[in-house]
Amino acid sequence: MGLEIVVGIKWVPNTQSVNIDPKTGTLIREGVPSVVNPHDLNAVELALRLKDRYGGRVTAISMAPPGAVKGLEFVIGMGVDRGILISDRVFAGADTLATSYVLANAVKRLMPIDILMFGQETLDSSTSHIGAQTASWLHLPYIYYAVDAELVGDKTLRVRRMLERKVEVYELPLPCVVVAAMKSNHPRPVKLSEKIRFKMEKPVEVWSNKVLNLDPNCIGLRGSPTIVAKSIPTPSIPRKKEVFREGDVKEAAKWLVDKLLEEEVISL
Amino acid sequence: MRRDWKPCPEWIPVNKDEWRGVWVFMETFDGFLHEASLQLLRPGRSIADKLGVELTAVFLGTDVKRFLKEPIYYGADKVIYVEDEKFSQYAPNVYGEALIQLIKKYKPEALLVAGTLRGREMAPYVANGLQAGITADCTDFSVDPETRDVILIRPPFGATMLAHIRTPQRRPQIGTVRPNVFELPERDESRTGEIIEERVDVPPPTIRLVSSEEIKREEVPIEKAEIIVSGGKGLGTPEGFKLLEELASLLGGVVAGSRKAVDAGWIPHDRQVGQTGKSVKARLYIAVGISGASQHLFGIREVQRVVAINIDPEAPIFENCDYGIVGDYREVIPALIEEIKRRKEARAVEAATK
Repeated sequence: MGLEIVVGIKWVPNTQSVNIDPKTGTLIREGVPSVVNPHDLNAVELALRLKDRYGGRVTAISMAPPGAVKGLEFVIGMGVDRGILISDRVFAGADTLATSYVLANAVKRLMPIDILMFGQETLDSSTSHIGAQTASWLHLPYIYYAVDAELVGDKTLRVRRMLERKVEVYELPLPCVVVAAMKSNHPRPVKLSEKIRFKMEKPVEVWSNKVLNLDPNCIGLRGSPTIVAKSIPTPSIPRKKEVFREGDVKEAAKWLVDKLLEEEVISL
Repeated sequence: MRRDWKPCPEWIPVNKDEWRGVWVFMETFDGFLHEASLQLLRPGRSIADKLGVELTAVFLGTDVKRFLKEPIYYGADKVIYVEDEKFSQYAPNVYGEALIQLIKKYKPEALLVAGTLRGREMAPYVANGLQAGITADCTDFSVDPETRDVILIRPPFGATMLAHIRTPQRRPQIGTVRPNVFELPERDESRTGEIIEERVDVPPPTIRLVSSEEIKREEVPIEKAEIIVSGGKGLGTPEGFKLLEELASLLGGVVAGSRKAVDAGWIPHDRQVGQTGKSVKARLYIAVGISGASQHLFGIREVQRVVAINIDPEAPIFENCDYGIVGDYREVIPALIEEIKRRKEARAVEAATK
């Protein structure tokens, strides 16, 4: 018994200044330090809380280059039981449709499962697509923005979620897809004992397309309806840039209030 | 595209020439027509005009008849609506399936969906049901007249770059747009248009809404505020926001924050300005202790006047503001409050003695 939970995580470049390949329009990952997408850790934490309460197993999956094994090591350090790295050159350059296709097919190999979880969005592209898209390929019901979840009986998951101005509670039949809200459920720290377990047991499998055996026209760049035609630097907005750099703070306040009144940006 | 490319056999075949027209989804999940959907009639109109096709607004709900003329007043040529009890509670896959069915019937070449939280939840499901391309958080659109491809423009990678996304083979081309990125078009009640009632055959939802509770908030939402005083990591402590609130209330404005202030738990997420928060259009935006990362600057592009207060003279915000003061906000803000109070009093005395 217990819950069989799968969590998707993304290995993302941890930098503000990412370079883009001008030919393919895709991200150049080489030489950029990466981390587990922080919003995915909220999903990992929610999964671990469910496991703490109901027992079971948590599996983390990630479609990424081989270096992402470090990301799986990190979440295994948090308490995730095992990791699956879906890694093959033929998966590269995928948009969210092709990525979700690969993830869905990996999850099919892990069936039967109870809950598939994702983070709300990623640092590098923040589309929020993958949860709904993977649910669509798997024909599973889904809900986004979960802050809390509990079982009702053994076939229903009750999920509390936050919208802009609402708190809602939904009930979903298992199996289902749950996307955790950003900043919900603060992720637990990595434990030394779990890290040692990782070193000893090496609980990570690597699945290439030899394992998944997907049609090359459905994956990677070829399986992606969208292409990045080009990327241009965001044009900056012209501003006045008048800066009061030195002097008495009262003078500065007087100067600023004069400017704002003059331009009728404020009124008294 | 490589010569040996064939469409994925799991994709429904698409002949681009059969797909014509631009659709905008009208969100009524909360029992009212969301303004963010009407705003999309502005870019929708412009894309439709460039392609020489009709602009259609699409409603799904249980009680939407009272809204049907609104999109026409704001620029739509046509309205398609479905009323069905299955829409009485929102389930993303049920609304999504209904849209997929309508799209398969009418074959529009583009679909725009307001990027509210539920819009962002539903739209990727619609895209996958059609194996279509989807682009999140578009900020602009253009059209390639030769291929009729809509170019969807979005700011990924920390908003330093604008990516131009193209969907050369698949239709429809789907984009979500965050609220308030586009202004509401002019309202013209003399406009008329065709209204079509449709039916869909979707399975009942397997998920169930158990409860829904409004979060009551007194404050003006930041996207509607004229004056915003915004705090960042440089405040150092959550108490810093008390000073900001005092200044904001004196100016008749509201308080907001940067991502770092939200991450620190100093201010709620719905008051976050920036690429992953909200875009604001205030007349005046006072950035206090905010360094000015590209993601933050992206959220204040439409602000009329940006004021920066920061202790770090090298902070990038000074290169991106109209007026700046280098100094400790704990001294600058009280001085500003003092100065504004002094002027207000002087104005009051002047008025009283006239």
